[in-house]
Amino acid sequence: MIDMNKKWARFATYAVGLLIGAGMWQYFGARGNQLASASLTETFSRFIRLIENGELPTAVANSMQLYVAGFSAAIIAASALGLLMSRIRFLRVGIENYVMLLYATPMVAVVPFISSLLGPFFMAKFVVVFLFGFFPVLYNTLEGGRSLRPELVEVATSFRSGEMALWRDLLIPYTLPFILTGVRQGAGRALVGVVASEFLVSSSGMGGMIRYYDGNYIIEGVFATVIVLTAIGVLLMWLGRLLEDRFAAWRGLNR
Amino acid sequence: MSDAGSAAGSGSVEGTPRIAAKAVGKRFGDLQVFKDINMTIGEREIVTVVGPSGCGKTTLLRCVNGLLPVSEGEIQIEGTPVTRPRQGVAMVFQNFGLFPWKTVLSNVSYGLKLDGCPKEDLRDRSMEKIKLVGLEGFENSYPYQLSGGMQQRCGLARALAVEPSVLLMDEPFAAIDAQTREILQFELLRIWEMRPTSMMFVTHSIEEAVLMGHRVVVLKGRPSSVFETVEVDLPEPRGRETLSHPQFNELREHVWANLMDEVRAAEFEVN
Ligand SMILES: Nc1ncnc2c1ncn2[C@@H]1O[C@H](COP(=O)(O)OP(=O)(O)O)[C@@H](O)[C@H]1O
Ligand SMILES: [Mg+2]
Repeated sequence: MIDMNKKWARFATYAVGLLIGAGMWQYFGARGNQLASASLTETFSRFIRLIENGELPTAVANSMQLYVAGFSAAIIAASALGLLMSRIRFLRVGIENYVMLLYATPMVAVVPFISSLLGPFFMAKFVVVFLFGFFPVLYNTLEGGRSLRPELVEVATSFRSGEMALWRDLLIPYTLPFILTGVRQGAGRALVGVVASEFLVSSSGMGGMIRYYDGNYIIEGVFATVIVLTAIGVLLMWLGRLLEDRFAAWRGLNR
Repeated sequence: MSDAGSAAGSGSVEGTPRIAAKAVGKRFGDLQVFKDINMTIGEREIVTVVGPSGCGKTTLLRCVNGLLPVSEGEIQIEGTPVTRPRQGVAMVFQNFGLFPWKTVLSNVSYGLKLDGCPKEDLRDRSMEKIKLVGLEGFENSYPYQLSGGMQQRCGLARALAVEPSVLLMDEPFAAIDAQTREILQFELLRIWEMRPTSMMFVTHSIEEAVLMGHRVVVLKGRPSSVFETVEVDLPEPRGRETLSHPQFNELREHVWANLMDEVRAAEFEVN
């Protein structure tokens, strides 16, 4: 057996795995149906060209603008509503079921509806991204906020804490790791929301590129864009983990 | 027995009591937890309340702290009825009640901060109490990094930090292993000697009640009420040698005999 604890052994395994993957892509990509596949080298040279002519950077900037706008609004709104719901009983009882329902709903299903409601404009795309990111954050914030132990709230009351101080000292610091779990889940979904809205509301950004190259049977263009999307997705997941670990040190999970 | 130590200079005879419970009763809906509780705690006095689990000790402390309203009667602190938690009253909780996301230092300064202690004093005043309870060097640790005994030291420091005149202890050492519990009992006595306050100490351990208390209030019955109040006339300051004092054993046996049938009944209920 290879000792997986050795750094070089692990690295070598990764490298071999990647090489085999790349080799298969190249082999089957070059031999497959030209209307539905592209080889590694074709994709790579298209990727370089798309960067050089500025098409890909512009699309990425476009998509990310939509992403940041929609998702940051979702994070703020969802965590605020989640915290409120965890402290105000009638709010929670009233909305909770809808939250569960919408958390479980595949949001893609509502995109055409929003598109016809708001027209093929930025606003519609913003709302789509917002909705994709909103429910994971809300759901996790709510689950977190309500799991704050009543004994700790009692400690706060015993030390004569008011509601504002309770939020500052207990509710927000305690719920933060849960919110970040929601952000991590929502980060991926909001990215799907970006592409979905660029597909279905109006063509723009990376979603628009994929739609265009797919429609014109330039599969290496599709692949080059998808790879960038994947990279962004992986980067976001990594960032989310980093944030979560940073703010959840007190849980003592990583020691 | 109950008048054995009344002349022994315990706080009960000095001045007005700092805490007074007058015919206090508490109901949760149809459940009457206790009724007709009368007790006083003097300015420099430790009164222990002993009774089986579920007899309402925590509930009584919550009422004294002002976290729960009483159903009957009245609880007074310094002559005025308790309606909400007030300054100068601090509680130590059975399961420590530490905030897991805060370090020892910020846990200890929590009450001080709420009391509006100026920022520049916060650290010094907290560190003073951290040293007092023997947690120096752990001020930047999180609760999960500490043993149960150390966590309760932190809980104690947090309560002491607000310089309370009334300390409410809810079975503070019940969740701690026996050896550490003994150490903490003696440390608490040492700390109390340095700065005596009115302490209401709730426990289900008869031994602990007799060791710590100047008076032991025995709760019994369903709903529970004060079965007897035992004056504990043991030499002060209390310490390890108290445990081997002949009168200590006598008092312990006395309380035990009175509680036994109730404890047995509780045991059957559990099994
Ligand atoms: N908030 C509450 N609502 C209803 N019943 C309660 C509540 N708090 C305590 N009780 C009941 O009151 C009784 C006494 O509880 P407690 O004061 O915790 O006892 P102890 O601290 O002596 O073990 C128990 O039967 C418990 O179930
Ligand atoms: Mg209790």
